[in-house]
Amino acid sequence: MDIHITPLDFGKAAVTVLGLSKSFGESRVLQNINFHVDEDEIVVLLGASGSGKTTILRIISGLDLPDTGKIILHNRDVTNLPARERGTGVIFQSYALFPKMNVEQNIAYGLRIRRTKRKEIKETVNRLLELVHLNDHRKKYPSQLSGGQQQRVAIARALAYNPEVLLFDEPFGALDAQIRATLRREIRSLLKEIKVPSIFITHDQEEALELGDRVAVLNSGRLEQIGTPFEVYNNPETEYVATFLGAANILNGKIEGGKFVSSNVSIDIDTDANARDGDLAKLVFRPEDLFLRKPENLTQKYQKLADGIIQEVSFIGAFERVIVKMDLPDAPTFVVTRPKTETVAFPLIAGQKVAAGVVRFRILRDPASVANAATKKGRNAAA
Amino acid sequence: MAANLSSMRHVRGFDVVKPLSITVMIAVMLPLILLPLASIFIFGTNKGLASFWSALSAPEAIFALKLSMVTSFWATVFNVIFGLFAAYVLSKYSFWGRNAVIVTISLPTAIPTAVAGFALLLLWGPYGTLGRLLDPQGIHLMFTAWAIILANIFVTFPLAFGVIKPVFDTMSLSLEEASATMGASRWQTFWHVTLPSLRGAIVSGALLTFARAVGEFGSTILVSGNLASRTQTAPLYIFAKFNEGQVEAANAIAIVLALFSFVIFSILFFARDWLEAD
Repeated sequence: MDIHITPLDFGKAAVTVLGLSKSFGESRVLQNINFHVDEDEIVVLLGASGSGKTTILRIISGLDLPDTGKIILHNRDVTNLPARERGTGVIFQSYALFPKMNVEQNIAYGLRIRRTKRKEIKETVNRLLELVHLNDHRKKYPSQLSGGQQQRVAIARALAYNPEVLLFDEPFGALDAQIRATLRREIRSLLKEIKVPSIFITHDQEEALELGDRVAVLNSGRLEQIGTPFEVYNNPETEYVATFLGAANILNGKIEGGKFVSSNVSIDIDTDANARDGDLAKLVFRPEDLFLRKPENLTQKYQKLADGIIQEVSFIGAFERVIVKMDLPDAPTFVVTRPKTETVAFPLIAGQKVAAGVVRFRILRDPASVANAATKKGRNAAA
Repeated sequence: MAANLSSMRHVRGFDVVKPLSITVMIAVMLPLILLPLASIFIFGTNKGLASFWSALSAPEAIFALKLSMVTSFWATVFNVIFGLFAAYVLSKYSFWGRNAVIVTISLPTAIPTAVAGFALLLLWGPYGTLGRLLDPQGIHLMFTAWAIILANIFVTFPLAFGVIKPVFDTMSLSLEEASATMGASRWQTFWHVTLPSLRGAIVSGALLTFARAVGEFGSTILVSGNLASRTQTAPLYIFAKFNEGQVEAANAIAIVLALFSFVIFSILFFARDWLEAD
């Protein structure tokens, strides 16, 4: 039997980021970042400014060097290659179109550099102009194009030389809100059509959820969680992820006999093999998962949290947002969003007394006790 | 450069200030700028075009004009290429003493041209710091056309640099980065991306340098030796002929130089839109 051993085998991943770390002077910008992007996949790096997302993008494209770690593009270790030998397609925030070249020349640039035959360049440019619907603007200069058109030129320009991966640096940052929404749908369907692996970076959670097949949430240089939009939104693994991706209500407590307990609140939780009595934990739930009823009307369907007093009711369009002050120690306030059907069935006013119950929630165990459990487990395994 | 004339909406009816201020402005400019320029043309041509032409076609005059053009041309070539290089280095790399270099490069604008010429003599002259070493080798730079080129380079050095550097400074770094990610080498990026953005600055820098070099007098008269038909440039010729009392000869060349600068500044003024076009 023949056994082929390839020194590097990262399966069918288009991009693999391994143990990336980087510091600028004293500040650690990236700490041990690991993730991969599959062929045809769109991964969004989501994080606040200073989370290190731009640095990751620059390291993948070769514009920055990591202190430690590797970048693998289609089974090729490119960590030590300069930007020009990596073959990535970067769409810069300001698009960085060449101002003295027209649309055609911008798109042809990567091929001209590669000394491609003139005829082939012409064919590729025509095909790409068709793809991004810029046939009528082929002779225009970047300054004569709208933001959305410039962006499409930037994408076509990167696609011309069959890049290993497309890297989008906050691509919608320079556009106004309405155009952003349309453009990101357009770009997503374009990327799905041409099947090029892509990485986006953004600080906009709505954008991340809509664009990505998977979303990676970054917080001060650490990768907090990576998963499908559904996973990161509904099953956040850390408090940061829970609060960064939309609003989240949080209640501190601990695990006790298969329940989450906090003062006189007691919530049944799924039995988690690792959860042990006394572990500190947080109960996390979204505003749309908290339900308000008349105290006598809270049915068995909901697990009761506590009673509370309505503090503020505000109309925000499709939903109503209610802030309720809970009858709990320290009197925490929770945010509730209610759809129209419910606001009609059960109108609320400030000062009203209600009972609050949850259906869906997430238990986050204290990182310290989780780490503790892990080492114990490790010791047991070793023994 | 279309000037935006703002209508003066806060003034009602006939505005006396307008004709008055225009008249004052022209009255001041007339004796200071317009009349001196006009008198060159009036005196130069009042004995007829034939005499103007013969003054112009004197061998010494032709030589002086040619020498001015050739020396200015080489000084321009050097200063544009080196100014481009210096601007690239100084805006791209930061290093210890960078600001000191920038100030030093810009210094010649503020130095009197006679001082510049004197400084060159002290360095390259037969008894100068370097000239003393070169003299025994039979290399004499001063009092030759080389000296004129050196003086022109010194005096006009900051001009091209000063026009090109700001363009480098404001050029977005992401253009070069984009070019690199697309596979271009440094040289390809410079040639295809950076240089086209500098086209306007290079052309205007070159024109400014050339115009300034052709008119240079103070430093040239010190380093050239002012030898007719050997090291006498056009401005020196005007000075020499005037001293000899040959006003017509001086005047003919003066007209040529005045027209020449007029043409260059017209190009700079009217071609600005083209030069700065994206």
